[in-house]
Amino acid sequence: MKNALEKFLKIDRRLIFLALTVLLFAPIVRPLGLPNKNLGKDVVNTYNYIEALPERSFVMLSLDYDPATRPELHPQAVALVKHALRRNLRVGIFTLNAGATGMIEDIAARIPKDIAPDKVYGRDYVIMPFQPNPVAVMTQLGINLYEIYDKDRNGNPTRDMEVMKGVKSVKDMGLGICITGTAMLDYYVAYVADKYKFPMAGGVTAVSQPGYGPYLQTGQLKGLIGGMKGAADYETLINDLEKGTSGIDALSLAHVLVIVLILTSNIIMLVLKYL
Amino acid sequence: MIFIKKHIPLFICFFVGVLTLGSYYVPNATSENYIEMMNKWENIVAGFAFLLGLMSLFYSHFHKISRKAPGWGYSLFVYVGFLLVVIPAIVSNGQPMKGPDMTSLGWIYRFVFTSLSGTMFAVLAFYIVSTAYRAFRIKSPQAFVLFAAAFMVILGRVPLGQMMWDGVLGWTGYQVTDVIEWLMSVPVVAGRRGIMIGIAIGGIVTALKIIFGIERQYMGKD
Amino acid sequence: MEFLGNTWNAFAAIFTVTPGWMTFGGWVAAGLTICLFSFLYKDNPFFKVAEHLYLGAGMGWLFQVYLFQTWKPKVFLPLMEGQYSVLIPALLGLSLVTQFFPRISWVSRYGFTFIMGYGSGLVIPLTISTDFLKQIGGTIAPFMVSEINSGNIISLLNGTFVAFGFICVLFYFFFSVEHKGAVKKASNIGIYFLMLYFGAAFGNTVMGRFSLLYGRFDDLYKYSAPEYFYATHVVLGLLVAYFILDKLVLSRRGGGQEAH
Repeated sequence: MKNALEKFLKIDRRLIFLALTVLLFAPIVRPLGLPNKNLGKDVVNTYNYIEALPERSFVMLSLDYDPATRPELHPQAVALVKHALRRNLRVGIFTLNAGATGMIEDIAARIPKDIAPDKVYGRDYVIMPFQPNPVAVMTQLGINLYEIYDKDRNGNPTRDMEVMKGVKSVKDMGLGICITGTAMLDYYVAYVADKYKFPMAGGVTAVSQPGYGPYLQTGQLKGLIGGMKGAADYETLINDLEKGTSGIDALSLAHVLVIVLILTSNIIMLVLKYL
Repeated sequence: MIFIKKHIPLFICFFVGVLTLGSYYVPNATSENYIEMMNKWENIVAGFAFLLGLMSLFYSHFHKISRKAPGWGYSLFVYVGFLLVVIPAIVSNGQPMKGPDMTSLGWIYRFVFTSLSGTMFAVLAFYIVSTAYRAFRIKSPQAFVLFAAAFMVILGRVPLGQMMWDGVLGWTGYQVTDVIEWLMSVPVVAGRRGIMIGIAIGGIVTALKIIFGIERQYMGKD
Repeated sequence: MEFLGNTWNAFAAIFTVTPGWMTFGGWVAAGLTICLFSFLYKDNPFFKVAEHLYLGAGMGWLFQVYLFQTWKPKVFLPLMEGQYSVLIPALLGLSLVTQFFPRISWVSRYGFTFIMGYGSGLVIPLTISTDFLKQIGGTIAPFMVSEINSGNIISLLNGTFVAFGFICVLFYFFFSVEHKGAVKKASNIGIYFLMLYFGAAFGNTVMGRFSLLYGRFDDLYKYSAPEYFYATHVVLGLLVAYFILDKLVLSRRGGGQEAH
């Protein structure tokens, strides 16, 4: 008995890998279809903030994630762009992460197709090019953004675009949202939100989500969308279910597996101790 | 020579540091113009800092190939990967999309870069599970508290976990999300804030040491 | 000149993305993904090739982004228009590269000191405000007279809990006094708050990592469809065949060790 348990405790980890593969792949092939209830408070706050903005307010979306965190953050970005454009807000898409440009193109290609076909580039939204050195860019965003963003990603001058009318710096914008898998949101809080008293919200990976509790409590962040659960919550709020919702559904079995594994190994340890 | 090699760079650090610091507390047109110029300059300097990483990678793999070190053949693929992106980028003029059509750069991004980069990080999921089984031992009250918090979060984030909670503890009137919300907005804030202030103090002290030239390891050896 | 132009156009035409290329893309993506995952079974040449491709392609992507979105519009084009002031930051930036040439590596100090001076000057006031004063303010905010007068007991209790935990955590990190007596008790309680934070972070990390894996599996599922000619199935089958062959050859040679 003791030997068997000890053996079980030292099971080939490739079997655990296989279990995870099966439990995560199966719901992709055949979704469980469980409802995503219990929406996160900080996600709802972000949604409500956007809902309360006057029409044609300018929303800055800083999409600072790369393919490594795409499954978590891309659904958040898509949901936010949908919400903002459908609410008739002006949207400026910025990026301070060189790896993000390809995914921004993906959003750019989707806007005229299925996100908001009636919206016009240059009038309702604009996409800025990547810029290095986030801190320098952020500081400049609060003074005069045209010193750095004088051209859009296609090289067209931004100053005269209708979408930029009356917008010189973040002080003229309604809200800023940074979606990132790095510390970019921390920088935004310090260099933009706090410094220029600019309302900011964030979209972050689940890994870094707990770290933003202090900023939410002080109001330095108006809202936060965390990981795939956050994306699913936002999709539920705008009533347009996509990858976030199907994703969180698929994670269900794998999450239960982790709990079962931790409990199993600890129970075995206890049994071995008193056997 | 030491003046040019050491003193002037240290003076640049001090001068730029003090002026940048001062510009925050002295908000007038001159300081704003100064910081605007610095922002523009920094933006360009940082654009070149990337070359350091590029050259370092190329150099180390070139070294491996030239010495025919074990596995040197794989190093060739670093250059293949680089050219695989850069040639289409030049052909497509840096544009992943041309109107509604995908360019070769966009193709590389979607099928090569996204797959490689995404999978590299996704592999960690497997190790987290096997570590959870092999190393997560609840041997002390502290470890139990850690487990309890992790348990609530792992369970409560997914629909199946929420249903399980509702089935067993639904009668309490509390949903699992309420517990997670409380965890995230009260004890987690306390723990995180303590760490945050520690890092802040460390950061401020280091920054001051850099400005005053006490910390100069980043400059390399004399 | 015309010949060069024509040659370039012919070369560029090869890079036109046709529907066939999109299908082939599915094969490439499925192949690279499975090659990287194959490490989970054991180390193998396919994994190593994909890993090195990743390094090169990652750098290549950054290179082209910097080339087309920074160097060209911020340095080259302004210089063409006669704005020579961009030469100063460009030279400071280029000075960094001298790091690789020991005899003149000191030149890179000009670039580094500029970056460090600017960064340090910027970080001090903002850290003081964002991560220090605002956090202390946030801790005492629930005890303001206006808050207490509003009579929200729950908020007051939670605020007390945050303040208490925060102080205990600070004691844990405070090494200037010996941890004994009341200080030790406070710091021990601090550990529990940290554990709650780490536990929540671990729980969220599980979700985060699984989400990334879900993303890759979702793509693999997509590429297993008939319109991609079952790319995932075929690549996976080939790799399994390789491992079986590899094992057979190894066992015939009577040697070989598994990676795990």
